[in-house]
Amino acid sequence: MSTPFEKPQIISHIQKSLNYTIFDSKWIPCSAKFVCLGNLARGTGVMQIYEVARGELRLVKEIENAKPLKCGTFGATSLQQRHIATGDFGGNLNIWDLEAGEAPLYSIATGSRDGTVKVWDPRQKDTPVANMEPGEGHAFNAQDRCVCAGYDNGDIKLFDLRNMSVRWETNIKNGVCCVEFDRKDINMNKLVATSLEGTFHVFDMRTQHPTKGFASVSEKGQKSTIWQVRHLPQNRDVFMTAGGAGNLHLWKYDYPAQRSKEDSEGVSMGVAGTVNLLQNVTLSTQPIASLDWSPDKKGLCVCSAFDQSVRVLIVTKLNRV
Amino acid sequence: MSVSEVASLLNQDNSSATIGHHGKVPVEHLDYGYIEKCTHTKYLEKILRELRSGEEGMYPHLIQFCEDHLRTLDPTSRALRKEQPIATAGSLPTEEWTEISQDLQQWQEEAKDYEMSRRPSAMFHNAGNENIPPIRSSGASVPLGQNAASKAKKDPPKRALPRDYSQWDTFDVDRECERIDGNVSKKDTPAVINSGHVNIKPGVDVTTLTEKDKLLLADREKDKGNEAFRASDYEEAVVYYSRSLSIVPAVAVYNNRAQTQIKLKHWHRALQDCQRVLEQEPLNLKALLRRATVFQHQDRLSLAAEDLRAVLHVEPHNATASDVEGDDDVATEDEEKAEEHARPVDRRQLAGGEESVVTPVERGDMGNAQKKPHGGHHGDGASADTNHGSTGHFRRGRGGSWDKHKAAGETPGKAANGTGKRGSTASEHGGGGGGSKGGGGSAGVDLDAPCGALPPPLARLKNEGNLLFKNGQFSDALGKYSQAITGCTDSGLDSPEDLCILYSNRAACYLKDGNSQECIQDCTRALELHPFSLKPLLRRAIAYDSMERYRNAYADYKTVLQVDDSVQAAHNSVNRITRLLIEQDGPQWREKLPDIPLVPLSAQQHRREEPPTAEALQARADRTASDTARRAEVRFNALKLEGNDMVKKGRFQDALGKYTECLQLKPGECTVYTNRALCYLKMERFAEAKQDCDAALRLEPTNKKAFYRRALANKGLKDYLASSADLQEVLQQDPGVQEAEKELEEVTALLRQSLDAGAGASPPTAKPRKKVPITEVRSATDSTPRPPSQEVDNTASINLQPADAYEFGQSLNAARSQGNAAACAQLLSSVDPEQLPQLLGNQLDGQALGFVVEALDDHLLARDPGRVYRLLRHLRTADRFTVAVMLLETAERRRVTQLFAHLSAVQSADFTKDDVLNLANKYII
Repeated sequence: MSTPFEKPQIISHIQKSLNYTIFDSKWIPCSAKFVCLGNLARGTGVMQIYEVARGELRLVKEIENAKPLKCGTFGATSLQQRHIATGDFGGNLNIWDLEAGEAPLYSIATGSRDGTVKVWDPRQKDTPVANMEPGEGHAFNAQDRCVCAGYDNGDIKLFDLRNMSVRWETNIKNGVCCVEFDRKDINMNKLVATSLEGTFHVFDMRTQHPTKGFASVSEKGQKSTIWQVRHLPQNRDVFMTAGGAGNLHLWKYDYPAQRSKEDSEGVSMGVAGTVNLLQNVTLSTQPIASLDWSPDKKGLCVCSAFDQSVRVLIVTKLNRV
Repeated sequence: MSVSEVASLLNQDNSSATIGHHGKVPVEHLDYGYIEKCTHTKYLEKILRELRSGEEGMYPHLIQFCEDHLRTLDPTSRALRKEQPIATAGSLPTEEWTEISQDLQQWQEEAKDYEMSRRPSAMFHNAGNENIPPIRSSGASVPLGQNAASKAKKDPPKRALPRDYSQWDTFDVDRECERIDGNVSKKDTPAVINSGHVNIKPGVDVTTLTEKDKLLLADREKDKGNEAFRASDYEEAVVYYSRSLSIVPAVAVYNNRAQTQIKLKHWHRALQDCQRVLEQEPLNLKALLRRATVFQHQDRLSLAAEDLRAVLHVEPHNATASDVEGDDDVATEDEEKAEEHARPVDRRQLAGGEESVVTPVERGDMGNAQKKPHGGHHGDGASADTNHGSTGHFRRGRGGSWDKHKAAGETPGKAANGTGKRGSTASEHGGGGGGSKGGGGSAGVDLDAPCGALPPPLARLKNEGNLLFKNGQFSDALGKYSQAITGCTDSGLDSPEDLCILYSNRAACYLKDGNSQECIQDCTRALELHPFSLKPLLRRAIAYDSMERYRNAYADYKTVLQVDDSVQAAHNSVNRITRLLIEQDGPQWREKLPDIPLVPLSAQQHRREEPPTAEALQARADRTASDTARRAEVRFNALKLEGNDMVKKGRFQDALGKYTECLQLKPGECTVYTNRALCYLKMERFAEAKQDCDAALRLEPTNKKAFYRRALANKGLKDYLASSADLQEVLQQDPGVQEAEKELEEVTALLRQSLDAGAGASPPTAKPRKKVPITEVRSATDSTPRPPSQEVDNTASINLQPADAYEFGQSLNAARSQGNAAACAQLLSSVDPEQLPQLLGNQLDGQALGFVVEALDDHLLARDPGRVYRLLRHLRTADRFTVAVMLLETAERRRVTQLFAHLSAVQSADFTKDDVLNLANKYII
């Protein structure tokens, strides 16, 4: 039943203007705090930690870095550690202990501007554990040890880290902006890939046909580039796309009745489901550069746009979709 | 709209669509009339774009109209997606926002607390993350990315060509295998299916985590389980739920896993999970419902019914306390519903078996009828059948209406009113018509049945209407009712009740046709004529409901419940609408409700006012009795099962309690006695065990288990003789019971030991025959009671007056196992020789024969040779005699020879030497 009352609403909770260009924002696990990464006007990088308290943002800590910080992740850390790994424009990978200090725990020079995808293990500083062809965007899955990379010619490749091979590749005809698995700590289930001209594709990664590969469904979300896609951590079938025209779209993937069927030769092949738009809003006139769901509070998310502001949003009624 | 019109319209659309593809939308298409008729969504979208672009001028209303029309055709059309500004706190209802912000605030505080508490444990690294593999050895073993990728590029799976036939001649298996072991295995496998659950460990090691972290992890695993469940990966879901449970055993997760197990049809596991939930939360509704489902699938219907009843005890009683009767009906109804979900259950078993009401009872069947027009009445039909004994209804569902019809015949004034009375409201919309159908059974003759105060032509119209309604021809029925109504008003008939029914029936037709507006009007009219009658109220409520006028619907449902609070459909709808209204109007939703009229007491539950007929009372009493019996039965089964489970778990003390309760409910159940005996045995309370076995044997004299358990009890009581007798009984019934054989060996050994010990310590058990004073024996006849002798002391446990074959066998065995030949002789002297073969049955074996011969020779021959001869003569005809003779051991054979020698030496009138010789030939082979 989708009466207007049932539909999720996207509510702007807090909006804060910043004095730098913000590239990425990430929630710190198990807290009401998030990290903003960006580029100060004087050309240096900045990392700020904000805490959400009583409808306002309180600056907890600010760290300046020699180079502008492009992106960060808590993906390589445990619940207890909460170390953030950041990448900067100088080609360095830094790992920071947010509670300890101003300087990174250690940094790794990777130089991704050479256009390769490298996989690093934080336990080993000197050599990347894997190194792949040019690309951008990546996702990682713990069960399969696969890395998926999208390329600006529209290629999407799935690398198997176990035996260092390309397990699957396809082309979505337009430059790939972002790829994400719906959940990182399960056997790969779904993959969303977004593109420059505003369509996105959802691949069902459970059944791989020898020639047809994975089944997929595509949807044209908006007229502008979709820069980011983020799955709701509490429900892998709900995801939000962030567009170049400052808009957010909330989608839900519905599985088909049968996720796989047999083709004429009796080989299993996947069946794609459908994608339904739950809600869409326009936030800003500028592209939205980053989006991150709170891993702890369902429906809470932070997003940053190139209008130099960070917003904390609340999405309601997510448990009813 | 005629077919040709549609066709032309389609053509028009197609042609215009083609025009549209090539060029612009013609201006004449930007028109209300055209847009309204256009059904081509793609083209409509194009028109909409054209309109929005404003190239032909801005027409806001036309745009709106076009959008609305498109929405009705295709609600998900992309052209309807509009850019919306982001909502703010202000755009939500204040209450909702307060709730959200409070929730958020709470979370923030929790997060803060957590961070404070978390710091000390920050030393533990990588705990709880079992997925981390060892560091990949870098350098030599890792091929550089370019290589891997280019290699893959050179040889991508999709370019795999089929081999040429000639290639197969040079096919090198080893090399191919090597290649497969390398990196290119993918193209040879048919399809890669990443079924998620294979590699996942069902347990998680969380020893180093804090409680808070554990909760967090458990929650995440549960989320994964839920997702897998939604994607129908049930096995995967079970694994994730199990992981979550291994971290923190939470009720909700058990409940979810139960549901998943149900989906997987693992009934037993689902049952276990439900039990676990119910152990912690005995009134968990979901768990009860799920357990009911499991029981249904296991064909344990009474238990399922019990669970459903438990659910209904919790849920509908929130609102009102309704009487037991109502409850039961609801329960049965719910069972039926549940059964409809669970198909493989025989519906009649419950409906017919449990419902023995005299009158089909109001069960809010409008609501039901809407959902499942054909299924809803089976219960009524069954009950009507039992009441009137009217057989041969070709459609059971109609039986209920027959009942109503009959009632109408008896008390036309009241029954025709049909609205307030419980008895006649069962299926009023199918009322008279159904009645005629059911009553005739052969042909719908009863159309002229009298209908209240209606003149015959009108009554006929009404009955025809009812019949048509029953057949699903709602619009025809509508016409009949309308005619009847006009007839009624024209004739100036003063019978508001009848008119009320007619309106109410017509309302039902409107409702069926989906014409809610008319339905409401008719219901209102009916209610004006007869305020607070149930049916029109209910129908109006449903009509309001379907028109989404929830406030009015709510008011009507509430009124219905005031009139009769056992209408389950109304309860359900009230709950549903309350939720909707809260969402719609916020917490002050009650303020916006229309006034709910207060129902005068006279209108409330009128069925109570009418004194029930004697017949009804009798039926009700019967029903209560059968009900209690049924409840007892259900309870009994439950207790017994619980007891059995406990026995399985080794909790004998608890099981004992359960069985005792069982026996209080139903003292005549043999199995419970044997089960309880088992418990006593396990608890080494042998005397009680023996008692229970005795009780069981009284109920079922051939119960093997009871014998076996009594044997064990006797063994425990050191009464080896009785024990061996019981074991032999078991073996006699079923020679294949190996446990019994083993026990018998053991018991015999024990018996021998105890006898030896007894022989050493106490006076000898068997008296040498010399000490028997022959004169005394001679004076003793068969029938007179034996004078107390020393033998009798020893043979106290041997029944010397066997009444049947069984007792004889027992006595014989007892004597034999004691080696008490004298007792055996007494035994033999007390039985009629002609009966001997019957008494022995098929029990005769070599040892027994030898023993009998010994007893005859040593003790009886001197006393009564004629009897010995007769006994021997008849013994020969016993079953298995020849086998037994063949099985005789040498010593025993000698004994037989000796016996016949002695026998032939005796002079007797009863037999001659030749007779003895002939007989001896049979014995000595």
